[in-house]
Amino acid sequence: MLPFSRTPRLAAAAAALALALTACSGGGTGDTADSAGQPVAGGALTWGIETEPITFNPHQYAQAKARLLVWNSFEALLTHDADGGFVPWLATGYQVSPDGLVYTVKLRTDVTFHDGEKFDAAAVKANFDQLLQPGYAPALRGVQLRNLGSVTVTVTDPATVTITLTAPDVLILDFLASPQGAQISPKSLREAKNLKAGGPDVVGTGPFVLDRYTPGQEVHYRKYPAYHWAPANAGHQGAAYLDEVTYRFLKESSVRVGALTSGQVQVIEGVPATDQDLVKTTPQLALNKSLNSGSAYSYYFNTGHAPFDDVRVRRAFRDAVDVDAVLQAVYRGTATRAWSVIGPTSPLYDKRFEGSYGNNAANADKLLDEAGWSGRDAEGFRTRDGKRLTVRVVQSAPYVRDRRDILAQAVQAAVKQSAGIDLKVSIVDQGTATAAIAANEFEIFDNSRADTDAGAALNLLLFSTGAINRTNYKDPELDGLLAAGQATGDPAKRVSVYSDIQRLTVADQALLLPLYAPADQIGAARTIGGIGFEPTAGVPGSAYNIWIGK
Amino acid sequence: MTLVRAVARRLATAAVVLWAAATAAYLALLLAPGSTVDSIIGDGADTPEIRAQIIAEWHLDRPEIVQYATYLLRAAQGDLGRSYQLQRPVSDVIGAQLLPTLKLALAAVAIAVVIAVVVAVVTAGRRPWLRRASSTTELVLVSTPTFLIGLILLNIFSFRLGLFPVSGDRDLSALVLPAITLALPIGSLLAQVLRDGIERALDEPFVVTARARGVRETAVLARHALRHALLPAVTLTGWLFGVLIGGTVIIEQVFGRPGIGQVTLLAVSTKDMPVVLAVVVLSAAVYVALSTAADLAYLLIDPRLRRS
Repeated sequence: MLPFSRTPRLAAAAAALALALTACSGGGTGDTADSAGQPVAGGALTWGIETEPITFNPHQYAQAKARLLVWNSFEALLTHDADGGFVPWLATGYQVSPDGLVYTVKLRTDVTFHDGEKFDAAAVKANFDQLLQPGYAPALRGVQLRNLGSVTVTVTDPATVTITLTAPDVLILDFLASPQGAQISPKSLREAKNLKAGGPDVVGTGPFVLDRYTPGQEVHYRKYPAYHWAPANAGHQGAAYLDEVTYRFLKESSVRVGALTSGQVQVIEGVPATDQDLVKTTPQLALNKSLNSGSAYSYYFNTGHAPFDDVRVRRAFRDAVDVDAVLQAVYRGTATRAWSVIGPTSPLYDKRFEGSYGNNAANADKLLDEAGWSGRDAEGFRTRDGKRLTVRVVQSAPYVRDRRDILAQAVQAAVKQSAGIDLKVSIVDQGTATAAIAANEFEIFDNSRADTDAGAALNLLLFSTGAINRTNYKDPELDGLLAAGQATGDPAKRVSVYSDIQRLTVADQALLLPLYAPADQIGAARTIGGIGFEPTAGVPGSAYNIWIGK
Repeated sequence: MTLVRAVARRLATAAVVLWAAATAAYLALLLAPGSTVDSIIGDGADTPEIRAQIIAEWHLDRPEIVQYATYLLRAAQGDLGRSYQLQRPVSDVIGAQLLPTLKLALAAVAIAVVIAVVVAVVTAGRRPWLRRASSTTELVLVSTPTFLIGLILLNIFSFRLGLFPVSGDRDLSALVLPAITLALPIGSLLAQVLRDGIERALDEPFVVTARARGVRETAVLARHALRHALLPAVTLTGWLFGVLIGGTVIIEQVFGRPGIGQVTLLAVSTKDMPVVLAVVVLSAAVYVALSTAADLAYLLIDPRLRRS
């Protein structure tokens, strides 16, 4: 029925090898490349992607959906392994001083930027200097780099940089492995016409060169043949397999799926729940899924005023929702339920909270009666002193994805029916949303963050002074725990600290209703091999490992 | 001399319209909820230091009237400023997107006019069933959301039959489906207006005269009645422009085409003032140009107007 031009040839013998080669791609699940055969060099690939990046400058990166593009042409000093640890990339290794303040990073000496500039300690310093320029990346300076004291180059050794912090901060390693920490050629930093927007004249050291960008339509990369410095866990070494890769911006999900099934593109990301079965059951196609790292998609309760200043009301709201039923209705079984503020794939995730709350209308009723919301109005909503139990969630339209607007309506129906809570959902432009937040005119704030280290997400969301602490919950104990999590580099200690944080926020204070763990999906022709997700982050990886099988 | 004065008056009117449009948009954006700093920060981290830096970088601490005056002064010199979101000059952002949108709009108008004229001439004053069928189809097309028409066409002609590509602006074949999608509702409405006009004209005495002279029915329709029906259609130019602008926003989204529509959508939803203002001024300029063209077209179509 589907006009498919390629007939996949099964290469059973090679399949096992292909799987072994792609196995290192991390948290992904799926049946990639069981017919793509062994890696083949050459060819041009076309991907349909959902999001056109606002900028191609990695320092300015702010969209999780842009990661798969960033790593084609840029690289960082470190990268993540599947367990959340760090692997050298443009660095060869690093040392931390016992007081946690001085990071000495040794660099590779055989790396060249796409424009011929040499990668060395001076280049790394130039990048840091640029990041600290006023007005260049204020958010980075204020958050990820707030403990950065100085960056110095050892004059006698052009391959060593010393990063000195003003306070211990293990998240600096996450920064060094993040897109914002990616290395841009010093020449680009000096000469690029639109440095902040990025594009063909802002270059890095990655396996592909961004050589053409047509806004609104596509971005095109070609292979960087001299590339030979992939990190140890990259999947292979040497130049990329593909000669060229084009990413077309296809914002409509049905159009992306149609383009894939009709063979106009060979790979798409962002396969909507309604089409995942179609991709799975089409013999020529394969579906790959991976859960994202960071924080789960949750409703955070604003404890700054009534009614959520009362923990009983917060608990009642959670108990009023049968999250499994709501997710089933909206996502048809494709969503993974979340139980904690931290996503289930994070090494910091605490399983204890699974099944510990929710779907208990009787308890919700009891709690609301105790909290004084015992009256009922003509429409069946609860009241207290004649005032209806109304809570508002304000969603900014440009950031609504994964059908979160529909999800909100499903939760709205659930809390109305089981507990008589009036949830008002508004989808508005960004200005209206930020105005509502600034005026504290909301009771629920919805958010998920795709940070590779969940600690980075929690610092923004839960710290008393956190940039997006919209729960307005301020507690010295919680701040102390968050600070301890940021200061220690010992993995076991971190797990225990973040477990305490989850106990405090999820179990004791019921600050949030975790809903689902955001996931990425890739649909691809079975002839395409090497599709994978980034370790730890769980988002689609770059095109470095991808090949077109026969 | 009178011609020069007429042209001068026309230009002065155009300048006033542009200024009014720019000012109205400026005020609307200023009064819209949310501060400019919030819009620039977007989904990013938000601290007092970050705010202070953004305010300094974009000179947002100046009084609003000064910001407005600076904006007008710069715009008059052709400097449209920098996009808050995209961090590039607005002229870059919009300039690169003009041609694809223009191509789409012109192709759509051409197709719409052909559809409208052919359908109107074929169905006006003919067999009632044909007229009814045509009228119903037009009504359905006018009232169907553009994106639905686009998705249906894509499904049939791109995904199933593989005749046209889904995305981009690489060659002519990529223009066909989006242009037809945009043309169908416009053409349908124009056809209705034209047919009504033709049918009214067919009742006029001059048609009886023409028929009496032995002019063939098709010629009566095409040469005499159609000319009469054109005036109300030309009056629709302003409406047509609105539909085109609104339509391209959706069509560029559905078909993955570059163009002004996408830029505008992003700019409006993120309150990217410099880009929104530039789009408004540009739209006003095009509108002024089109309405001038419509005035001229009246003169060409209706000789009576030339005399007065």
